[in-house]
Amino acid sequence: METATAHVTHHDHVHGHEEHHHEEETFLTKYVFSQDHKMISKQFVITGIFWGIVGGLLSILFRLQLGWPNETFPFLETFLGKWAEGGKISQEFYYALVTMHGTILVFFVLTGGLSGTFANLLIPYQVGVRDMASPFINMLSYWFFLSAGIVMFFSFFIQTGPASGGWTAYPPINGLRDTAVNLGSGLGFDLWILGMTLFIVSSLLGGLNYIATILNMRTKGMSMFRMPLTIWAILFTAVIGVLSFPALLAGCVLLEFDRLLDTSFYLNNIIINGNLLGYKGGSPILFQHLFWFLGHPEVYIIILPAMGLVSEVLATQSRKPIFGYKAMVFSILAILVLSFIVWAHHMFVTGLNPNLGAVFTFFTLLIAIPSAIKVFNWIGTIWKGKVRLVTPALFAIGFVSMFITGGLTGIILGNSAIDIQLHDTMFVVAHFHIVMGVSAFFGMFAGVYHWFPRLYGRYMNETLGQIHFYITLLGAYAIFFPMHFMTGLPRRYYTYANFETFNNFNFLAEFISIAAIIVFLGQLLFVINFFYSIFKGRKVLAEKTVDGYDYANPWGTTTLEWSAPIERLHGNWPGDIPTVHRWPYDYSVNGREYIPQTEPLKPGEVSHD
Amino acid sequence: MIAFLIFATVVLLFVVLVLIARASELTADLKSGKVDYTNQSKWNGYFLLISLVVMFVGSAISFKVLAPVMIPKAASIHGVNTDYLFNLTMLIIGVVFVLTQIALFWFAYRYNESHGHEAYFYPHNNTLEIIWTVIPSVVLVVLITMGMYEWMRIFNPDNRDKNMMVVEATGKQFNWMLRYSGKDGKFGERIIDQAHVSPTNELGINWEDAKSHDDFMSDKLYLVKNKPVLMKLGAQDVLHSFFLPHFRVKMDCVPGIPTEFYFVPTMTTVEMQDYLKTQPWWQTINPESGQPRWQTFKYELACAELCGKSHYGMQRDVVVVEQKEYDEWLAKQTPMYAPATIEEPKAEAAKGDSVKPTAMLEKK
Repeated sequence: METATAHVTHHDHVHGHEEHHHEEETFLTKYVFSQDHKMISKQFVITGIFWGIVGGLLSILFRLQLGWPNETFPFLETFLGKWAEGGKISQEFYYALVTMHGTILVFFVLTGGLSGTFANLLIPYQVGVRDMASPFINMLSYWFFLSAGIVMFFSFFIQTGPASGGWTAYPPINGLRDTAVNLGSGLGFDLWILGMTLFIVSSLLGGLNYIATILNMRTKGMSMFRMPLTIWAILFTAVIGVLSFPALLAGCVLLEFDRLLDTSFYLNNIIINGNLLGYKGGSPILFQHLFWFLGHPEVYIIILPAMGLVSEVLATQSRKPIFGYKAMVFSILAILVLSFIVWAHHMFVTGLNPNLGAVFTFFTLLIAIPSAIKVFNWIGTIWKGKVRLVTPALFAIGFVSMFITGGLTGIILGNSAIDIQLHDTMFVVAHFHIVMGVSAFFGMFAGVYHWFPRLYGRYMNETLGQIHFYITLLGAYAIFFPMHFMTGLPRRYYTYANFETFNNFNFLAEFISIAAIIVFLGQLLFVINFFYSIFKGRKVLAEKTVDGYDYANPWGTTTLEWSAPIERLHGNWPGDIPTVHRWPYDYSVNGREYIPQTEPLKPGEVSHD
Repeated sequence: MIAFLIFATVVLLFVVLVLIARASELTADLKSGKVDYTNQSKWNGYFLLISLVVMFVGSAISFKVLAPVMIPKAASIHGVNTDYLFNLTMLIIGVVFVLTQIALFWFAYRYNESHGHEAYFYPHNNTLEIIWTVIPSVVLVVLITMGMYEWMRIFNPDNRDKNMMVVEATGKQFNWMLRYSGKDGKFGERIIDQAHVSPTNELGINWEDAKSHDDFMSDKLYLVKNKPVLMKLGAQDVLHSFFLPHFRVKMDCVPGIPTEFYFVPTMTTVEMQDYLKTQPWWQTINPESGQPRWQTFKYELACAELCGKSHYGMQRDVVVVEQKEYDEWLAKQTPMYAPATIEEPKAEAAKGDSVKPTAMLEKK
């Protein structure tokens, strides 16, 4: 398997060290319009944290309504004004909160924040390249992401409020630009579409760049099967994004046509208060197909990078190779393929042809197989390892725990016959929050705690990190585990008081709200820790110094990121880019704790790739 | 004041936490170079085990407290089957849940570095991979097959009883319009065009069609025990979803596209109350009504697709009765034909051009 020579990067030896130190850097080019992947990664993570706080806060607001539907909170009126008159969140604003909570967390935190941060940080550092294929496009990707966020944020401050027809943007409620039908479907939804369009542009620019860099620019010796699983996951994530986001964009453009130009792509025979509107021949279901053609792959866009990070963290912190490396790669590939042919399981009860429903049930449940393989391999990785239970490892273990719990209920929901009752109920809310919300957050936290030293040259505080972990693990279970018992309670209800049937769970709703508030406060520990550690965290100390550059390897990783100096140089390596000689998981082999990928094979030694 | 105190306490708590955390970090700093995490690993090993126990105890409490409160057993033929499938799948995944969580947390505890062992280089084992691919596959194939069989049985039109009753439900912001076909058992024709749809005739019923003359609207959904019913579903303005939680029935209502759902109710409202009377939780007193819970039990119709600000309010009572009682109820209903025809002459001008609230910028 020694085909190392086939992969020579485009620019290594020629432009190397010198060039990168003669660049003039001003404050603007270094911190703001930076084209350096590490700075862009920092920009993504900090923007992501901002959106995480906003998205979390929105959920706390609507949890106040759900937990205490009969009470008023005067301070809400102070902050929200007309949206919470008398201290009670209005119906309109409740639905805006629900909608924006979903939009922000799905797209701005768990897609932009997660992929943006770690693709930018890890691709160049782990495949051995000085920067992305196009640093400029990479910079654009961030600025489109930021603009998308600004547009979304702006919509909170307009007269009619932000979009309130659900993060799934279904027409006709979002297809009629009529605030009498739905307050948020006026300007608020236009801004939603604009924001999403900018976001999709950002995502595509980023994704193409990630793919180009990974496929074309790997350092010498870095064959595909010598890439760490983080890179595999990011590669497949980018492929999914590039193939599926355009469908959403097309869907959204047509939706805006319906809204502004009176076309009828998604509208047919709409009757408002007994007045028949002029729309003819469109289908609201068409939009759902377009939306979920992205929407389902989107959950894998969220979870795959987290899986990659967790695989890497678990192997490193267990001092043991990831169990079944190739099985892991092929299972992500299987998930990639399957993710494109399961979207209609979100639409089992839309009146879909039942035969189609059966087909989608089949493919949906198939996804459980590669997912199961991954779970068993993670558990196999810890087994007989020498696990260093530091914060990143704890979060990686938490990820696996959450992914198991949430994934298993997917087997119930994916089965169309059972889904009839569960569709659009709190059971679904519990399922997807655990499997793609909380899990992805755990993966992201594992990644941030693990690679924070690489990003800032300092460690995050372990004690705070561990407190953060236990609050989040037990708190998230406290929120979402009991929610499964609200089987049959419709989601997106402002209150259940109108129904004899649904009104029995108020004590549980209150319990969940209290847990949610505690977990949210727990996340502030992470935020404090993050910003505190940037400036005051324990420094990564030099283990050796070569040519005036300090080197360290805080976690003892085999991968390339710590073959670069502690200082974050523009261009990453002061000299030549290192050459790779072996697979990335040589932990606890040949009597050594770990063997870096840069170390040549001994005579007679066989690389595991 | 109380809000301020809570706020101050939280802030203080954070400060204390940060100070403690910082202190612990400083002691680690003195050692310089590589930090020894062994002690932390040891404690976290214990904490993980405790977390696992807390999780399992919490799950057990959830089952004990919440399971009796859940929506009671299915009151339709297919609902009994899908509930069985739900419970069977729950049982299987419950076992997998317990085993995998124990393995995960136990291994994290057992193999943490504080035990002073070395890691075992064990990169892969194809036999194991095949085992844990094949076993889930087999289980899933069984579940898929059972699920698909039930799914096709629910939706296959050939399975329908010729003597079924048909009820039409149309969702609009924010209530349900329930139309019955009256004594002749046939619905009057609906024509969706400007000439027929109006504020007084939202459904666009063609009054010239004699079949419409005995159709009536009901504010309750009356069904007959053991009598198959086909719900003809539709929506006026935006998406709604016709949801009968007790009958395990849900189907979206889509403007411009008809949908339907066929099912057989198996228990009258009274029978369900009698059943619940035997359930301990349902015997408890509801503090709001002051009555035992089983007494105020009723079947209900809800909306399950976000349809606007009062989405949560689209409630209708559902009543299941014996045929005899249904016939009595039917005899008492008044057709809607008479009042509608009085207002029949409509102003031509009002319906001439298509009224469409388009491109209205933020008009309240």
